[in-house]
Amino acid sequence: MTINRRHFLGSSAAAAAGLAAPMVKADGHGKPRVVVVGGGAGGATAARYIAKDSKSAIDVTLIEPSRMYYTCFFSNLYLGGFKEIEDIGHSYGTLASGGVNVVHDWAIGVDRDAKTVSLAGGATIAYDKLILSPGIDFVEGAVEGWDVSSQNAMPHAYKAGSQSELLKAQLMAMPEGGTFAMVAPPNPYRCPPGPYERVSMVAHFLKNNNPTAKIIVADPKPKFSKMALFQEGWADNYEGMVDWIGSDFGGDSVSVDPNEMTVTIDGEVTNVDVCNVIPAMKAGRIAELAGVTDGSWAPVNAIDMSTKADPDVYVLGDSSQQGDMPKSGFSANSQAKVCANAVRGALTGSKVYPAKFSNTCWSLIDTDNGVKVGATYEATDEKIAKVDGFISATGESAELRKATYEESEGWYAGITADMFG
Amino acid sequence: MVPGSQPEEFSVSAEILALEGDLEYGEYLASECTTCHQADGSANGIPSITGWETEPFVTALHAYKTKHRDNEVMQIIANRMSDEEIAALAAYFKTLEN
Repeated sequence: MTINRRHFLGSSAAAAAGLAAPMVKADGHGKPRVVVVGGGAGGATAARYIAKDSKSAIDVTLIEPSRMYYTCFFSNLYLGGFKEIEDIGHSYGTLASGGVNVVHDWAIGVDRDAKTVSLAGGATIAYDKLILSPGIDFVEGAVEGWDVSSQNAMPHAYKAGSQSELLKAQLMAMPEGGTFAMVAPPNPYRCPPGPYERVSMVAHFLKNNNPTAKIIVADPKPKFSKMALFQEGWADNYEGMVDWIGSDFGGDSVSVDPNEMTVTIDGEVTNVDVCNVIPAMKAGRIAELAGVTDGSWAPVNAIDMSTKADPDVYVLGDSSQQGDMPKSGFSANSQAKVCANAVRGALTGSKVYPAKFSNTCWSLIDTDNGVKVGATYEATDEKIAKVDGFISATGESAELRKATYEESEGWYAGITADMFG
Repeated sequence: MVPGSQPEEFSVSAEILALEGDLEYGEYLASECTTCHQADGSANGIPSITGWETEPFVTALHAYKTKHRDNEVMQIIANRMSDEEIAALAAYFKTLEN
């Protein structure tokens, strides 16, 4: 019989330690085990920091189906021609070299009683702490006439990679003077300024390649992130090209027909050449399968990103319902570091520092014309609460806008190095 | 003023500069910085902050905190840092090579 670590601790060390809080240790296993599901801004960062900072004291497994990860952030710049697709693709080789066990597979189930994750390939992986960072999935039936089987005719391009390449190819193939339509999503969704940066990047491409083309946006919201900045930018740089139809003007009454390539807005049918449907979003499916969601998202405790449903299951980034932070790669990366610090502390007894969060979202309107919005946040008992914030102003100088764009390039290099090593 | 520069006359007190930074806390706090500033010292649009001497590092963060330096991201990040936290960050980033 092998000596069970918990029994060993229970009979001697824990008794000697008196009332000290017990550390969570793996039963019958040398090292505590962390399993991370999802290798984006939340998951890759959490896996990397736990492996790096625990100095091999914790086994870290990252489960991510893609061998090459394309960041959703900056995928609009690829559409606009400012980036190549290779510029936004990242592999997991450096993470693996850094001690993370990278498994390219789909997580298809979580048994929270047995503390295991099952994979599509048939394996079962045990955990002491499970971190879910699966990004978003789409709400079925959110846009009448659209489902995932029509995403080739009408791409969402809101999970980057082949969908981004498809939308770019369709944009490039648009007939002269054609119509590009976007169905924007309702709140809350990944990357609040994302659809509107995309409109800007599509307009930039069309201005240079197809200047008589039009863009129609059907939006279920009456207003959107950085609205004044985008509307000023569209008027200044793409005059007459963008027709944004908010909910006050019927933008919330939309259906599409992927076979006929039509969009119906408030009863009016329009033939379109490209249709980018960005449906309503919800937490990545695995969060739902794990039973940690309530409605569309997974409620979490602000102090460490543990779920309200299970103290050993954490949810980061887009899938979490945490309070005031927008769903962004920056937010997920910020939450991942707070979570990594807390998980490491719980498993090894290392020092746990107070949670601090921050976010900045940069958007590109046109060449060298960048804008940003950002805030700092803290953990309260109820939620992640905003402390302080800023937003770019309308009418800023070209010099400042250029500096803001250059800063966004620096951020991209920084966050991807922080995620992937 | 160029974004990110500070007035020459800006300075912080000797007491603040003399604070000894807690390296371990600095390493944790630094994870907020490395979302944008690369830990290996590369700079592509955002300046490198590795290998700085204590005085310019501490002075720059206090300049952002008091809005004597001009970058909104840095102003709100520095705004909630205590003198001890700034000292901890300075101590940690000093140990990283450029």
